[in-house]
Amino acid sequence: MRWTLLGAVAVLALMTSVVLGPAAVPLNELLRSDIVWSLRVPRALLAFLVGGSLGVAGAGLQALVRNPLADPFLLGLSGGAGLGAVLAIALHLPGPWGLPIAAFLGALAALGLVYRLGLIGGASLDPRILLLGGVAIGAFAAAITTAIVSLADAAELRNAFLWLWGGLSGASWDSVLLVALYAPIPLIVLLAASRPLDLLALGEESAGYLGAEVEAVKRRVYLAASLLTAVAVAVSGVIGFVGLVVPHIARLTWGHRHRALLPAAFLGGGALLAFADTLARTVVAPRELPVGVVTALIGVPVFAFLLKRWSIA
Amino acid sequence: MLRRLSVVVLVLFACHTSARRHDAAPAHRIVSLLPSFTEILFAIGAGDRVVGRTQWCDYPPAALAVPSVGEGLPPSVEAVAARHPDLVVLYKAGPNVTAAQQLERLGIRTVLIDLNRLEDLAPAARTLGRLTGLEQQAESLARAMDGFTSTNLHQPPPTSTIAFVVWDNPPIIIGHGSYLDQLAAQAGARNVFGDIAAPSAQVSLETIVARDPQWIAVFSDSGTPPAFAQRREWRAVRAVRERHFLLLPGSLFGRPGPRSSQAVRELRDRLEHDVGAQHAAPLHETPRR
Repeated sequence: MRWTLLGAVAVLALMTSVVLGPAAVPLNELLRSDIVWSLRVPRALLAFLVGGSLGVAGAGLQALVRNPLADPFLLGLSGGAGLGAVLAIALHLPGPWGLPIAAFLGALAALGLVYRLGLIGGASLDPRILLLGGVAIGAFAAAITTAIVSLADAAELRNAFLWLWGGLSGASWDSVLLVALYAPIPLIVLLAASRPLDLLALGEESAGYLGAEVEAVKRRVYLAASLLTAVAVAVSGVIGFVGLVVPHIARLTWGHRHRALLPAAFLGGGALLAFADTLARTVVAPRELPVGVVTALIGVPVFAFLLKRWSIA
Repeated sequence: MLRRLSVVVLVLFACHTSARRHDAAPAHRIVSLLPSFTEILFAIGAGDRVVGRTQWCDYPPAALAVPSVGEGLPPSVEAVAARHPDLVVLYKAGPNVTAAQQLERLGIRTVLIDLNRLEDLAPAARTLGRLTGLEQQAESLARAMDGFTSTNLHQPPPTSTIAFVVWDNPPIIIGHGSYLDQLAAQAGARNVFGDIAAPSAQVSLETIVARDPQWIAVFSDSGTPPAFAQRREWRAVRAVRERHFLLLPGSLFGRPGPRSSQAVRELRDRLEHDVGAQHAAPLHETPRR
């Protein structure tokens, strides 16, 4: 029943974002319209894939660091991606894909540094150090970014910040194809780690006694979740809130079993972002809102409502 | 206590000096903190009195010989004061108000001038004329500006439509409240986003596709089409597919000033002589820098 409902919500969100838009496309011309085929459909699909990826990455990281505040961008990736993007603009990196590639590389660099810091205490990846390292690397990258912005051509770089706040304006069949080919690998890795992630909730020691290869799982989950987030940030900037709130909402309904939680977080995250993007494009048309604003405006009340119900129960 | 008293005395002294300086003689050492002001000052014959400019002040060429004090918005108060000006001209905006107060406290006369649209040009020229004692020259420039804004010199080509794209991801366009919108109207073209009241706004790509402008105008000093022209999602816009770009050098088109009429003429020429012209060629203005 809940799966049917979630599936229906996801399909509805996708359909709405194809049917609705700032440009008036009559229903009977929907299938023939260039606006729909070359802009709306790829944008809806990209929103769904990015939202789903962020949902799963958030769920995985929350389990890994055993902290409900964990968010796919908490571990320094947004700082790294931002630095990459600002560098791309400041250095006038050529080509239509210069900025996304630079952002991706920036996120990977941050990922590598945080991972290395996480291993600082020896061979075992310490979740607490991961969190602290993520915050520190993020702050460091943000400081360099601000230094570049304050020294270089101001107007151009202010626009880099706009990009960074997230949005799906760059959606095309190219970016959809890219994410559709890339994301399944880390998604499968995370899904395959469902059982050990369940055990990890009992603490690392107990998980070890119960047969989980704790160290290997921690590394796999961290790398897969981060690689997933890195591609999301490369195609759509830092879209906040989806990766934080969706896993919690999913947990309130599907419980703590990751085998069910992760797919639910994918569908929920995808539906939320597709729906939020439809609102972003239409409510103030012909203008557009940053999608991160809308995800927060929808996500927080839903979250608060569920929290209330949950605490009463 | 003593310290507090000395601060009070200092402040009183500063107030006194700045008040006295306000009805002072015409300015002879001027720091201009907006490219438009620099152009006006040179146009009314006060160019030799400009002792400081921003790094963006690149016209007329003689202005480049004047030492730069940096970005200008907000200015470095120390760098400005180091030029020993008797007048600092600032653009009227939040951070500049604070800077002006700081400069006044140092005993330097300041003036904050609004200059966002064509109709602000004549008052700005008159203010600068009064402060430099060059009222006559300023008045003739102001009249020229007023005359130019109140009359449409030529019959507009009726069908030209433009979208000014200032950023591609997210797409940010120029709305009605901006100087560029006015330039387009003067040149006889219609800004397809003229219904948006703000000077600039984020829009969806599909809105640009639906409004189907004949031209996509972008700032470009190098004369090369923008990088987004190669992105697949942008190729849904007809003008991008057909490479109908207006590449506008920022120095001429990015600011209201004495050359606004020249900017309008160039824009109109370009729109009128479109047929068969090579697309995506820069407007004839030698790129500087």
